[in-house]
Amino acid sequence: MIDTQSLIAQSAAKIHERNGGRAVLHGDVAPDSYWDAIIENGLHLAWASEDAGGFGAPLSEVAGAIWNMTPAALPFVETLIANKLLELGGLELAKGRASYAIGAADGVHIIPFADAAEDVVLFGDGHIAHYKSHDLECRAIDSLSPDADGAADFSKANPIKCAHTNISLSNVEAIILTLRSVQMAAAMDGALSLSIDHVSAREQFGRPLSKFQAIQHQLAVAASQVAAANMAASQACAALSNDMKSAWHEAAIAKVQIGESIEGATSAFQQVHGAIGYTMEYDLHHYSRRLWAWRDALGNEHIWAQKLGDDLAQKDSNKLWRGVTTGVW
Amino acid sequence: MNRFNFPAIKPNPALEELRSEVQAFLLAEKEAGYFHSEPECWMSSSDPEFSRKMGARGWIGMNWKGYGGHNRSALERYIVTEETLRFGAPVGAHWIADRQHAPMLIEHGTEAQKADILPRIAAGECYFAIGLSEPGAGSDLAAVKTKAEKLPDGTWKLNGQKIWSSGAQHAHYMVSLVRTSPPDGRNRHVGLSQVLIDMSAHGVSVRPISDLAGDAHFNEVTYDDVILPADALLGEEGGGWQQVTSELAMERSGPERFLSSYVTLEQAVIELQGKMSSSARARLGLIYANLRTLRGMSFGIAKLLEQGVSPETEAALVKDLGNSLENKVTQNVRAMIGELPINELSDTMKRIINIGVLRSPPNSLRGGTTEVMRGIIARQLGLR
Repeated sequence: MIDTQSLIAQSAAKIHERNGGRAVLHGDVAPDSYWDAIIENGLHLAWASEDAGGFGAPLSEVAGAIWNMTPAALPFVETLIANKLLELGGLELAKGRASYAIGAADGVHIIPFADAAEDVVLFGDGHIAHYKSHDLECRAIDSLSPDADGAADFSKANPIKCAHTNISLSNVEAIILTLRSVQMAAAMDGALSLSIDHVSAREQFGRPLSKFQAIQHQLAVAASQVAAANMAASQACAALSNDMKSAWHEAAIAKVQIGESIEGATSAFQQVHGAIGYTMEYDLHHYSRRLWAWRDALGNEHIWAQKLGDDLAQKDSNKLWRGVTTGVW
Repeated sequence: MNRFNFPAIKPNPALEELRSEVQAFLLAEKEAGYFHSEPECWMSSSDPEFSRKMGARGWIGMNWKGYGGHNRSALERYIVTEETLRFGAPVGAHWIADRQHAPMLIEHGTEAQKADILPRIAAGECYFAIGLSEPGAGSDLAAVKTKAEKLPDGTWKLNGQKIWSSGAQHAHYMVSLVRTSPPDGRNRHVGLSQVLIDMSAHGVSVRPISDLAGDAHFNEVTYDDVILPADALLGEEGGGWQQVTSELAMERSGPERFLSSYVTLEQAVIELQGKMSSSARARLGLIYANLRTLRGMSFGIAKLLEQGVSPETEAALVKDLGNSLENKVTQNVRAMIGELPINELSDTMKRIINIGVLRSPPNSLRGGTTEVMRGIIARQLGLR
């Protein structure tokens, strides 16, 4: 579930509006006042448990906050994930902007939105380690999104803290994919709103584009993809809230469904906008480029479809049906 | 946000218990040879004997209280219907009556109609057909010309023609959308009403029409001076258009909109065990993700319908996505089984994939065309 009406979500919405609403997208990063307000309200700690120093808010409410701030150029989702990993390692939470990476302590790994992060949490086989960004030699790598990924060689830095953990890679994947799925569904919804506004205002042949059936049907199809993405993200959140250990299935499903839906939706959004949607002057690219980057993060939807298929193909066919009806097998 | 209203339903162990019961019954019936799994079973596989067995177990008429109903939740009914689709069981006889006409009678029927008809529906013995389309009124449903004229004694005289009425040749009743008074200028939604027609009434004739697959499940129904009793009017005189809108939400949002071809997928997974290429596995993973997502949407609507919400747009979304998915399942199963030499496939696999292909075209037609669905969604988006 994604509860955009909860107190936490409403507080996120207020912060977003106060910092310019849709206009917050202009510029490469959101203003400092935006992040300061997140810290002041403790939103970066909302999802971590009270024992760990967070607020222990339900994921449905945290997801609502993510929804209401997407796609502002802030490492909010990255910070939530980093703090969840720290909590799972029994380590102190990060106080500011943070991000995460997956892999062994002696390798080079991708850090999402690396530029913005002051802290980086590395999940490797059996351990969780907390690094300061300035200790990592992070280089920018080519990215579809303005919130560029970086890559760092972790062997060249020492963590400030490290702990053993029992959580598995699939648990961590479930956490990351689920939060990303909320972000993707939200950005798709935002781009749909932008597209509706555009076709209602833009006139050709003496009437608004919205009055052409060809346009209506393109956006109707895109809207059905937005609705599917929303459901996939909701089911992933429900599964993760229920039990992290079995959440991988719904998270992988969301990854595949939303990855596929993004192509259908963004191509329609770009098409109905015409050339203006293909510029840096107009807002659509803030949504499209992020969506195209997020769907690739941690492997694209094709790879994840195959992971699901590999698992299903080995099991008896009752498992397929159990998966369709209950989300686990 | 919350542009659309799709509640996510929490897992419920009681529902899974019911599911096991239904599965055990269906498996036993299938293994005893009482039915063969078929795609699109809810439309094309009818077996009154099977319907009576479902009725005897309390799995028809689950959602109403009294009048033979079992007073269970919409989600419980959903579990039963999705399991029958998964097994491709012959549920076609009772499907339409249970899905939309029983709820319609509960809301609009007279006491006598309820007492007479509902227990028979719940027993799996009384079947209904839908009378919406006409030769001159397809997607443009408000163009219906069938006319019910009120006679001085309060009875109605019905004349006209309905078409594409599935199962009308076996149905005991039909509910038709008819004109009871002229349109108000350009507003054609005015003056339409729904009437209950006893198919055995004098002047009702049914002509089956063979579909592309060679099956005659749909029909042309002609009304020639059919006299209907006064209480044949269902709901309000002139309120037919609004009533049809809420009826269609039930008709469009159910699991039959995306699980009709599931039996072909399951059969393929069984036959390709240990033989699937990586591309076949990727196809399986993608379809699985699509099915799981759409199932969530459709299940959420069942909950809304129970709460008395009529989610017209959400139902249209499920139907449009579901129609595409039905055909996508069939096409991906073709691709998957195409990797094996044809003589390694079972006769069952060959038979059901052929049925799946032949029965693809109507998915995006019946219950409202893709174009009509997209029009409904566009209206909700504020584009028309």
